Amino acid sequence: MSKKIIVADDAPIIRLMLKDILTDAGYEVVKECENGRHAFESYKELRPDLVTMDIVMPEMDGIQALEQILKFDQNAKVVMVTAVDQREFLMKAIRLGATDYIVKPFENDRVISAVKKALGKE
Amino acid sequence: MENKDKIKIDRALKLIAKLSIDKSSQVLSKMIKSGASIELEDVYMADISRVTEEVMLKADNEVVGAFIDLVGDAPFKFLFYVNTKDSLVLTDLMLRREIGLTKEFNLYAQSAVQELGNILASAISNIFSTDFQISMKPKPPTVINDFESIVFQEYVIDAACERNEILIIQSIFRIVKFDIHCSMFIMPLGKSEQILQYVTGFM
Repeated sequence: MSKKIIVADDAPIIRLMLKDILTDAGYEVVKECENGRHAFESYKELRPDLVTMDIVMPEMDGIQALEQILKFDQNAKVVMVTAVDQREFLMKAIRLGATDYIVKPFENDRVISAVKKALGKE
Repeated sequence: MENKDKIKIDRALKLIAKLSIDKSSQVLSKMIKSGASIELEDVYMADISRVTEEVMLKADNEVVGAFIDLVGDAPFKFLFYVNTKDSLVLTDLMLRREIGLTKEFNLYAQSAVQELGNILASAISNIFSTDFQISMKPKPPTVINDFESIVFQEYVIDAACERNEILIIQSIFRIVKFDIHCSMFIMPLGKSEQILQYVTGFM
């Protein structure tokens, strides 16, 4: 059975790009979310194998959503996806428990390798 | 502000603009997997009333853009926009598909500009962070689709209300055979002038 993934990003074009990459690689994108709150609510409902999480999003950002998700499920796999390529922010996400991070703009191979690596840790 | 300080700050802003354009150019090429460059046409501090007059002459030019707050040690407002018809080309390029498939302005065209604005603003904040150890982060973009004069009035003049000048970065995206003209405006706010004084220490 294919692994289930939630894609959270406020930009529909990035959600579409990630969905295409992940679907082509055999994963099932079960939900697209436009902010952190929606991602957290969807995580509780769908219990996916992994979440790709943008950091800069309206309403609830990706760091807050990561914290909420890990509070709910400490084994959650969350890969951060961000254009903010700053050590301070990326290390904060990793310290909080993010499995990996991808810097935008991304290559398809980088997305797949981060997802495989994260799911391989199960 | 003394004229000597003003000259220093102008130089700091121009350096940041140059570094940001170089970084944005690399990022854009990677994003669309195609030969792309962003050429800096001009960067200057302009008198707000003069720029307003120029923009008002382009009253019927419809644009789509992203307006972003850069928050942190040096707060700035950032505005990026392109002609609406050029946003269709950018959409196809970002989705890595044949140019011309996006025929009308839609959710994805809007989102392409939103994301491009986000990536350009992030490139600027990354430059501040890595080159000058100044912590900055973009807030989520506000997407705008309106006539250029209205966009300018609502976003640039309002944001720049506490100063008489504005930093203008004019650039051209050269992508394969397309020349996509875009405008970027960076508006330093309040205490960011002190930070720019600090940046001059690196020059």
